[in-house]
Amino acid sequence: MADKKMNFFEKMQALDRRYIYLVVALAIIIPLLVPFNSKTYVTEPTENIYKKIDSFSGRNDRAVLLCFDHDASTMAELFPMEVAILRHCFERDVQVFTICFMPTAKPLMDYALQTAKEGYEVQSGVDYVNFGFRPWAIRIPTMLKMGDDISEAVEYDDEGRKLTNLPIMKEIMNYNEMNLVVDFAASAAVLSWITYARARFGANVAAGVTAVMAADNYIYLQTGQLIGMLGGLKGAAEYEKLVDVFACHMEPDENGIMQPAPRDFSKEIIKNTWIKMSDIKNRMHKTARIGMNAQTVAHLMIIVFIILGNIGYFISKRKKNKVN
Amino acid sequence: MSFEVISNFIAAFFTLSIFSFLYKDNPFYKFAEAVFIGVSMGYAIPLVYQDIFIPFVYRPIFVEYKFLILIPTLIGYLITFRFSKNLSWLSRYPIAFSMAIVGMGVPLSMHSYVLVQMRSAMLPVDNINTALIFIGTVTILLYFFFSKEHKGVYGKVTNIGIWFMMVGFGASFGYTVMARISLLIGRIQFLLGDWLGLMK
Repeated sequence: MADKKMNFFEKMQALDRRYIYLVVALAIIIPLLVPFNSKTYVTEPTENIYKKIDSFSGRNDRAVLLCFDHDASTMAELFPMEVAILRHCFERDVQVFTICFMPTAKPLMDYALQTAKEGYEVQSGVDYVNFGFRPWAIRIPTMLKMGDDISEAVEYDDEGRKLTNLPIMKEIMNYNEMNLVVDFAASAAVLSWITYARARFGANVAAGVTAVMAADNYIYLQTGQLIGMLGGLKGAAEYEKLVDVFACHMEPDENGIMQPAPRDFSKEIIKNTWIKMSDIKNRMHKTARIGMNAQTVAHLMIIVFIILGNIGYFISKRKKNKVN
Repeated sequence: MSFEVISNFIAAFFTLSIFSFLYKDNPFYKFAEAVFIGVSMGYAIPLVYQDIFIPFVYRPIFVEYKFLILIPTLIGYLITFRFSKNLSWLSRYPIAFSMAIVGMGVPLSMHSYVLVQMRSAMLPVDNINTALIFIGTVTILLYFFFSKEHKGVYGKVTNIGIWFMMVGFGASFGYTVMARISLLIGRIQFLLGDWLGLMK
């Protein structure tokens, strides 16, 4: 009897939460199976990282250090941005180093390198070096030592080769050359790079963080202690787009065959460029953008639920007040 | 059947077992949870041996004959005396050494987290953003000043600080929702793409 008197909003309030789980699951599954081309707006913190890395293109006296500070639990957000940045480096001939201080990050770092390397003729020790895993306990001494001499801080690479013997290290000494550190983290780990590499040696630091951590890091963006930031899946989607629009840009030659024609960053180009998801053949190169389609639908669902829940709450409150 | 297919099947089974908790608690969920804890520990032990003990203790001492490494190694091993009632005081020495790193971070942290942040909050108030930064910083600082009762004009000013904080918390919460949905998207991408091959 009591059920009959309930209006729509009250029923929504009493709804079994499992129905909500089901709706959210469908809101994610359907856009993933039927991807649509939602527009990805690129924000300034993402642009800044892109431009900084791009400025190292073709230079032997510049390198980027990518630090993997997360485990598999946050792979969904951070892995696409790692692959996108590595692709950018390989495409634009930017020397890149990778390191991790968490044992569980090591397989993810290797996997990101393997994934990004596909289709590129890059060579370990020449185009990139994997420094491998270093224990967390020597994280800060390693960061500080890198300010003097990288090959002293990390004597051997992941393949057991002495760093001083590697061709990539010829013109790279310390943070003056390895002038950008991008930390991928699901924690406040990026702060240690700000404290030790930025404050002590003036290194440029950027963050690729989970959305949970993004809000905490905005204050360091505002003060310029971070030169840029990729926040969660959205940041990864933005970077994927920049790599496709500029670094991996293709143009037809005189025979009409598409050839790589990387171009410099331009706000005008990005405004007027529209890349169809179906044109990108490798799924790993568009993971974040497809994910953002699902994210958009899921957020709309959540907003609708919040509105309905609030209306129901106020209606039932008013009813209660009337009864009293 | 390739290794990748088998590993995807195992990963899909455990993913679905964990998701089954959304319906209700069940033996599949409990099994997956127990396996996760066991695997995490099992993974950590050989990893510490291979990536920490061998390169930082065994190789320097027994291969490169750098016997000075014995000193920090022995100091490190003192931590195991925590389990002894009489000798637990010895475990404080490695802790004391590790605290040195905290001390080293103080001046640099002061610079990064306090001085640079303060400098950036003291901008000329010549546009809407700097005006908001100024009002937000001052009103929030006043809110955390508890020596004066929050009422009257002072209470109204501190209320503005509460509003600023609420906006901050809202932004954090919005990002958190986005993060959680992203993790779900990641798992569903794995199930639909890597496992079932339905995504292109």
